Amino acid sequence: MSQLNIWQQLLYYFEHNGLYVLSQFNRHFLISIYGVLFAAIVGIPIGILIARNRHLSGWVIGIANVIQTIPSLAMLSVLMLGLGLGVNTVIVTVFLYALLPIIKNTYTGMLNVNADVLDAGKGMGMTRLEVLRYIELPLSLSVIMAGIRNALVLAIGITAIGSFVGAGGLGDIIIRGTNATNGGAIILAGALPTALMAIVSDAVLGWLQKLFDPSARRNHAQGAEE
Amino acid sequence: MRHLQRKVWSLVIVALAGVMLLSGCGFPGLNNSSTGTVRIASMSTTESQIMAEMLKDLIEHDTNYKATIVSNLGSGNVTFNAQKRNDADLSAVRYTGTDLESIMGKKIDRSRTQAQTDAYVHQYFKKHYHMTYFPSYGFADTYAWMVTKDYAKKNHVNTVSDLKSHASQMKVGIDPIWENRHGDGYADFKRTYGFSFGDLYPMQIGLVYEALSQGRMDAVLGYSTDGRIKSYNLKVLKDNKNFFPPYNCSVVANDAALKQYPQLKKTLRKLNGKISLNTMQKLNYEVDNNLEEPATVAKRYLHQHNYFEGGR
Repeated sequence: MSQLNIWQQLLYYFEHNGLYVLSQFNRHFLISIYGVLFAAIVGIPIGILIARNRHLSGWVIGIANVIQTIPSLAMLSVLMLGLGLGVNTVIVTVFLYALLPIIKNTYTGMLNVNADVLDAGKGMGMTRLEVLRYIELPLSLSVIMAGIRNALVLAIGITAIGSFVGAGGLGDIIIRGTNATNGGAIILAGALPTALMAIVSDAVLGWLQKLFDPSARRNHAQGAEE
Repeated sequence: MRHLQRKVWSLVIVALAGVMLLSGCGFPGLNNSSTGTVRIASMSTTESQIMAEMLKDLIEHDTNYKATIVSNLGSGNVTFNAQKRNDADLSAVRYTGTDLESIMGKKIDRSRTQAQTDAYVHQYFKKHYHMTYFPSYGFADTYAWMVTKDYAKKNHVNTVSDLKSHASQMKVGIDPIWENRHGDGYADFKRTYGFSFGDLYPMQIGLVYEALSQGRMDAVLGYSTDGRIKSYNLKVLKDNKNFFPPYNCSVVANDAALKQYPQLKKTLRKLNGKISLNTMQKLNYEVDNNLEEPATVAKRYLHQHNYFEGGR
C-alpha cells in the first residue's frame, strides 16, 4: 500500500469502499437537510413575525446570535446530555445553527419590500394574509433562499462534527483516517465528498435564488415580450 | 402589544417543542431511534467497528429489524453508559477484563482461572446492570509488549523480564489509559516485574506500532489482536509473569432489548466462538493497512463464510 502515492491510494479506496462512501454521503446529506428543513419551518414564520412587530426583532435575532456563538462541539455535547447519543442530537444542533441565517434573511427580505407596493396592495383591498401571500413573500423569496443556502452550507460542516456523538456521516470516514496508519488518503476520501456536497448544494440553491429573484424575473418577462 | 408579545413567545415555544417531539420520531432514510431499529454501540477501535458492522449486517439479514451503529465512542466506559442510558441496545465488543476493572471497579484476582473470571463478570453484569454477556467471539484481546525483531535479536530479548536490564534507558510508547489504570496499570506492572522504564510516551493506541517500527520508540505496549504486528513484523514479548489477563471479547446486550427484539438473541449467538485470534488479526490488518472500511471487510467476511446464504 505504501508504494502508491496518496492519489492512487484515494482511487484504490474509492474502488473498494465506494458503496460505503455513498451510503455515508447520503446519510450526511439527509442529516443536514432535515435540520435545515425544520429551521426553515420554524425560522421563516418567526422572521415574518418580527418583521411585523419590529420591536421584537432585537430580542429574537439577539437570541439566535447567541446560539451562533456557541462552539458546535460544545453545543453537541450539551444537547447530548438531554437527547442522548445518535443522529437526533445532530439534527437538533443543525436546526439551532440554521435558525439565525434563516430568521435574519426572512426579516431583511420582508423589510426590503417596497412600501409603495405594499400600499398599492392595501389600496386594492387585500387582507394582511393576501399582502403576505401575493406581495411580501414573492418579493422576498430570493433573500430567504439566500438564508437557506447559507444555513445548508453551515449545516454540512456541522454534520461532519456530529460523528463525535455517533451519528455517522462522512465525518466517520475522516475520523477513521486520523486513527489509521498512513490515513491521509482516508481523510481525503471523507473530506473531499464533504466539500463537494457543500459546493454543489451552494450552487444549486444559488441557482434557485436567482430564479426567484423578482428583478431577474421581470427582465426575463420583458425579454420574452420583445 | 403585551398580548402580542406573549403570542410570539408561545409560538416560539410551541415550535421548539414540536421540533423536539419530531426529533423523537424516526427520520426516513436515517435508521435512527425509531422502534424496530437495533442500536449498536461501537468504539473507535478498528476491531470494534468491524464487529459492529458484522452484527449490523447479520441483524438486517436474519431478522426484520433494522440496525444502526452509534460509532466512534471513546472507550468501553462510554459504550457502557450508552447502553445504560438506553442510547444503545448493545455493545459490539466488550472485554471481560476491562469491564471487571473499569466498570465494576474490582481488582483482578490472579488466583482465578480465566473461565472463573469470565463467569463472574457475566453474572455481575446480569445481576447489577441487567445486561447479557454473550459467550466470547473466540478471541481475546490483551495488552502485549512488543519490540522490533532487530531489537530483540541484538539485545537477546524474548520475554518481558528480559527488558529489565535495558529498561532504565528505554523509550516506550503506551496507551494513555494504561498509565493510571488500577489492577493491571503501570503501577502494578512495576510491582510485579520489579522495574520501570526510562521515558514513558502516552499516545493514541493506533500510533504505537508505527512509532516502534520507525525506531522512535524502543518498545511499545499494544493490542495483541492488532493487524499491524504482522505488517510491521514486530515481536511480541512473552508475558512470563502472566501480568496481563486475556480479555475475552463478547457482544453484550441490554436485557430489555433482548425482550423487545425476541429474534435478536439467536442472531447474536451466530458469531460466538467463530472468530479466532488469527482471523481477527487478519481482519484488523485489512482495515488498518489495506485502505478498506470496516464495513467492507465485515461484509466480505460474512460472505466468504456463508452467513448470507439461505433466507430468514
